[in-house]
Amino acid sequence: MTIIGTATEKAAVISFMIDGIHPHDVGTIFDQHGVAIRTGHHCAQPVMEFYDIPATARASFAFYNSEEDVDALISAIQKTQELFA
Amino acid sequence: MSDLRELYQQVIMDHNKRPRNFREIDHANHLAHGNNPLCGDKLVVYVRLDGDIIEDVSFKGSGCAISMASASLMTEALKGKNLEQAQAIYEQVHKSMIGEKTDRSLLGKLEVLSGVKDFPARVKCATLSWHTVHAAIDSDHEVSISTE
Repeated sequence: MTIIGTATEKAAVISFMIDGIHPHDVGTIFDQHGVAIRTGHHCAQPVMEFYDIPATARASFAFYNSEEDVDALISAIQKTQELFA
Repeated sequence: MSDLRELYQQVIMDHNKRPRNFREIDHANHLAHGNNPLCGDKLVVYVRLDGDIIEDVSFKGSGCAISMASASLMTEALKGKNLEQAQAIYEQVHKSMIGEKTDRSLLGKLEVLSGVKDFPARVKCATLSWHTVHAAIDSDHEVSISTE
């Protein structure tokens, strides 16, 4: 898994790629596991071209997210990798 | 979860990993560009028509597993068919993706694509290559279609 964008002062918005699996496939699988993320080019096509990727998956954290939510996210990543293994 | 397995069936995963007819056709006489700008799915469909027989059909491009598998399955299904047969298959595939009753004898292996009917956001991924091949055959010059 690769995190796209590695600024030192990063906000709690994480764009990522999982093993070359298209982010729209990732989004559908996450959704089925109850994890809501954004997928696509996020209206930022030039940045996508810069990273040479079609789109990213993007998780956003806010004050209401708990540690369980983070665990659910990690679990969804693993489930996605298993499905596409 | 069972829905997810229904969508990402073995056949879909296999065609995504090893897309069939993923190449250009040097002497294609019909060609169309398909673009799904919201997804970022992009493909080119090449067709070589001999009279009303689809002598060869291929594609190149990039996209999600559903769009790649659908394009790959499309080329396999339409190769060697005449235009009337191709149209009949096209209509059946379209029906299967929106959950309408279909003729299974015409659909064959393509039935795996019907899994998208439970995922409205993904129907466009699966239909892109079919709209594109349709546009290619319908036109004598290079065309571009967009699903938006």
